[in-house]
Amino acid sequence: MIEEPYRWVEAIANRREYVETQLSSGSPIAALSFRDGILFLTLGRNRQKIFEIYDRIAMGAIGHPGDIERLRMAAIELASTEGFTRSAADVSLRRLAHYSLSPVMKNAFEQVYGAPFLARLVFGEIGPTPDEDLFLRVEYDGAIATNGSGGAPVRQHFAVLSATTASNELMETFLRDSYKIDMELREAVRAALDAWSVGHLGGTRSNGEKQLPDRDAIAKHRDEQLATAGIEAAVLERNASSAIRYRALTDEEARSLLA
Amino acid sequence: MEQRAMALDQFSLGSGEDFPALLRRKGLLGQPTAIVDLARGGGSSAMTQTESTTILAFKFSGGVLVAGDRRATSGHTVVYDRADKVLEIDRHSLMAIAGVPATAWEMARVLEHSFQYFRRTQLQEMSVDGKVRALSKLLRDNLGFVMQGVGVVVPIFATYDGNSHPEARLYFYDAMGAQFEAADYAATGSGSPAVRGILYYENNWGAKPLKDLNEDEAVSIALRALNTAAETDTATGGIDRTAKIFPVIKTVSRDGITTLPNDKIDKVYNESVA
Repeated sequence: MIEEPYRWVEAIANRREYVETQLSSGSPIAALSFRDGILFLTLGRNRQKIFEIYDRIAMGAIGHPGDIERLRMAAIELASTEGFTRSAADVSLRRLAHYSLSPVMKNAFEQVYGAPFLARLVFGEIGPTPDEDLFLRVEYDGAIATNGSGGAPVRQHFAVLSATTASNELMETFLRDSYKIDMELREAVRAALDAWSVGHLGGTRSNGEKQLPDRDAIAKHRDEQLATAGIEAAVLERNASSAIRYRALTDEEARSLLA
Repeated sequence: MEQRAMALDQFSLGSGEDFPALLRRKGLLGQPTAIVDLARGGGSSAMTQTESTTILAFKFSGGVLVAGDRRATSGHTVVYDRADKVLEIDRHSLMAIAGVPATAWEMARVLEHSFQYFRRTQLQEMSVDGKVRALSKLLRDNLGFVMQGVGVVVPIFATYDGNSHPEARLYFYDAMGAQFEAADYAATGSGSPAVRGILYYENNWGAKPLKDLNEDEAVSIALRALNTAAETDTATGGIDRTAKIFPVIKTVSRDGITTLPNDKIDKVYNESVA
């Protein structure tokens, strides 16, 4: 019966609803370019959500730990074998996402008798300048959103990943207003924390919420959460002497930047 | 598409495998070479193979110093006089090679990717013992080539162990993969007998033991030792100041790897060797 086109569409719609429900409690992740690199930041209490993929690529993920792990391993394997057989310069985030991860995730999502990936991913690839940084979000159904490429006039210098589409949009609206090019790490950490606060507020409210909370509400929620959760952050360094650009920031290091 | 999905499924089970195993699964690295029966004429004996170069390493006050000459030979011919035999594997590890360059560089490449692959997948740095063992395993896998008379590699591995008792560590290997931790110094390659004599002498009866030398003194001894090796060993290149060919000298310390610039080597050479 699932072979009938209508049933299939219905099954996919149900499945989308199921996945969205499963993902609806994730803590948001903000990634943004600053002068000396790309910052990934989230707040959390238990498990790691920001990972090193290759020399110039990092990943943030929300979803089921098992699924995140499979996708993370796949990405690392593909990047590592490519970097070994050709060169590190041939490892490209665009290819990794478009030709490897997206088709597999779409396939898993549409094979309605199998399990979909319960995960959303956000990637960042460091470039020589902030204008050349690439951000890319891959959804559980294989859909890809980038920060602008292929001649798009406006290129965003950030990417967000949140539990719901509504809170994603709120975070992007917030960053579109408050993001400044060529920030210092200190300013970037502040901007990312506020964006996280917006996303977290948006996620905990009802789904209908489309209004950006006011400045005080954002700051209040941020400080409340900072009191009980740890900052998880990592930087892809723009001008590191070594080929490996990924550096995790400790909670202490991130908090010292807020002082 | 179906094949892709299947390929991805393997990843979930693959998290425990090391990088060479991953490369072999994907057909990107040869299987461990078979050991041929020498009695049936498998090739020249491993004993007759030379590892034509000189590599030395010793601990000094600033960590470990690793130095190598620049000459690459094939039989009696000098093929290349700017070979770099001291290779950086990660931020704190150096591998210096004596032996067949093709095999050695490939090993260094596999090793470099192995350490990074481990850190990225397992979310922790590989321990020094794990790294030492990884090189040992690559050498063991290469044994078939060694027995056939091609591909012998005898490396030195220097690293800085950042554990609860931070210290510089130095290892040398034989061609079969046995690893030995060196207390003070190690040397490998065809010019190494002379170097070993010098380092032994300096360590016991020199002005001060090797481990107490400052950087300039350490560089000076490394240059003198390499020059001595080049005096009698045709496969070891000396210092060619007209062509500005200097040995490669690198140090490993708590802060990572430093490559000594040529002018610094030239200066020390001028003051204490020439």
